[in-house]
Amino acid sequence: MSGYCIACQEKPATPRVVVVGLASCFGCQLQITNAEAHLLDVLGQIDVRYWQLTSSDPMPEEFDVAVIEGAVTTEEAEATVRQLRERAGVVITIGACATTAGIPGMAAAGFLERPAQVYAHVPEACGEMIAPRPVQAVIDVDFEVRTCPVDSLDFVDVLQRALYGSNKAVPTRTMCGDCKRNETSCFFGKQQLCLGLVTRAGCGARCVNLGRPCNGCRGLSPDANLPSAREACERYGVPVADFDKALEMFNQVNPALQTSE
Amino acid sequence: MTKTAIHVDHVARIEGHGNVHVVIEDGIVKTVEMNVVEPARLFESMVRGRSWREVSYISSRICGICSASHVVTDLKAIERAFGVQVTPRTRALRELLVYGSYLQNHATHLFVLAAPDFVGQKSVFPLAETDPELFDKALGLKALGNELCTKVGGRSIHPITAVVGGFTHELEAGEYRALAEKMDEAAAFAAAAVDLFASFPVPSITTAGDMLAMVEPDYYPVECSDTARFLDAGIEFDANDVAAHLEEYEMPHSAALLARVRETGSPFFTGALARINASWQHLGQNAKVAAAKAGLRPPERNPFMNNVAQAVELVDALDRCAGICRALAEPGGVEGSSEPVDFEVKAGRGVGFTEAPRGALFHALEFDDEGRVVHASIMTPTAQNVANLEADMRLLAEQLVAEGAGEDDVRGEIEKLVRAYDPCLSCSVH
Repeated sequence: MSGYCIACQEKPATPRVVVVGLASCFGCQLQITNAEAHLLDVLGQIDVRYWQLTSSDPMPEEFDVAVIEGAVTTEEAEATVRQLRERAGVVITIGACATTAGIPGMAAAGFLERPAQVYAHVPEACGEMIAPRPVQAVIDVDFEVRTCPVDSLDFVDVLQRALYGSNKAVPTRTMCGDCKRNETSCFFGKQQLCLGLVTRAGCGARCVNLGRPCNGCRGLSPDANLPSAREACERYGVPVADFDKALEMFNQVNPALQTSE
Repeated sequence: MTKTAIHVDHVARIEGHGNVHVVIEDGIVKTVEMNVVEPARLFESMVRGRSWREVSYISSRICGICSASHVVTDLKAIERAFGVQVTPRTRALRELLVYGSYLQNHATHLFVLAAPDFVGQKSVFPLAETDPELFDKALGLKALGNELCTKVGGRSIHPITAVVGGFTHELEAGEYRALAEKMDEAAAFAAAAVDLFASFPVPSITTAGDMLAMVEPDYYPVECSDTARFLDAGIEFDANDVAAHLEEYEMPHSAALLARVRETGSPFFTGALARINASWQHLGQNAKVAAAKAGLRPPERNPFMNNVAQAVELVDALDRCAGICRALAEPGGVEGSSEPVDFEVKAGRGVGFTEAPRGALFHALEFDDEGRVVHASIMTPTAQNVANLEADMRLLAEQLVAEGAGEDDVRGEIEKLVRAYDPCLSCSVH
């Protein structure tokens, strides 16, 4: 499915877009509306057929692009994303929940015991709950917008790529390099844990710039060297167990993390 | 026998997933259900075993629009558990953060989600063409809320800088002054928003339940107090005792836990309307004038007036935030530093309490001596409101049926009522 390009079609038409929310905080959908100054410019290029957050129009049968927010946590959601894949030429995931299972993914560990920790009798309205997983664990995904929540302009950028194509490579480097470039001091020197060491770059080190260590919301970088990162923790007096525990926040279901232990 | 079944699958223009089921038989309203089907992410289970350092970062993700409230509430819970006293400056910054989410939330709810109901549209976008000035100013107000959250918290959603004991980053004096000026500039539009929402005709109903709000002597509190009050029952309690007064219960049709007053068994409303009823006398002068002009004075028990109450809070929030920003800009204008204070991690329990944009929010956290969460209980305003919303939906349906309203009218007015409650279903399930 990837490589589908609306711009290549013979008769260019306004792409029809649907926006669907699964298990999430809705923050990434809100971030789209937070592109206030650009909102109508962005929406002017597309035909939003279905966006439950902003409109009471029903979901159409036909559309070109599906934008999916949230993790898959029920059998019903699994069926929904499969249907979206069948109907849409392009699938875009937005945010950590859809892309890496994000914070909801934390519940994947020991999932079967968890509902009983919240409910005495799990209400029917919860549906058929399954261990949380990212959208790409269920279907092929063409484009992804990372970060928790997504950056509005990042979304606009990825949408443009999906609509018009781009050969710009998606960065895979770790965030540590961004701090060196920004000339910000390192938390490890203060014996504080920071996940920038192994997290995929692209946010400009937003949290670190504001005095807060990285919590890894962009997910593990494919270039991450976990054994070396653990050594670095030891060298700086940061417990390795804390490092591994912190990584669970956005990478609980990442297969790379499961096999490295 | 005539039977009318009204099903609204996935109520639009609210945050999260919910369906409405109403069954009317021979003119009698039989079933009224707010079917909350938002996926359960199981936050209370998820934070167990996590460090105090991570817990506010994780629970922020309960909700995008109320993230600032979840963070501040969690920090208050942790600080109560560890016995941390923060400075007045830190409290002022937290109040700004909470108000930033009020501006975002109320502007979004009123103009993007609720207004289309009253101008006969399915979404806000046609408004951009028919009334571009209103559309621009409404988005401008929402943008100002985002800017306030971004400046103070580092990001409009999921704040970065607010941590246990203080803030990791603070603005320059000039930036506070610039924010205050923007607040002043937005004031006229907020006052006009009160008039606009007061001009929309709404059904006259009297809410079925009690009301719950934070209270504080001589102040309109959203963050600074630990005291809550059920207005009708006259029960006032410290947030640490919330479980003794607020009873959560399960229903099969709702993934959110419902709530009632433990002592009276009554459902209750929490949100802007409850706050205005509890603290009307502490509103700022401009907000009071706007409220009086709109006919909003306690006791106001029509849940549809929650829209007007939110608009009044916009007026109040702008004045209040402008004042706080100007004080923060003056050297020594607000006592203390916002740098995180020192504290000791220890075993303990604390309940954080804030007034989120949608109402009373409680996070109860218990820690072991290493500062890891042993038990967590999160009570969000929308979950608290579900039972009262259902009771009000029933009242409204009965009234409309008695007036001989048709199915489409009943459906339309019930959807409007749901939106007037400004439910955040993603919060309610969490």
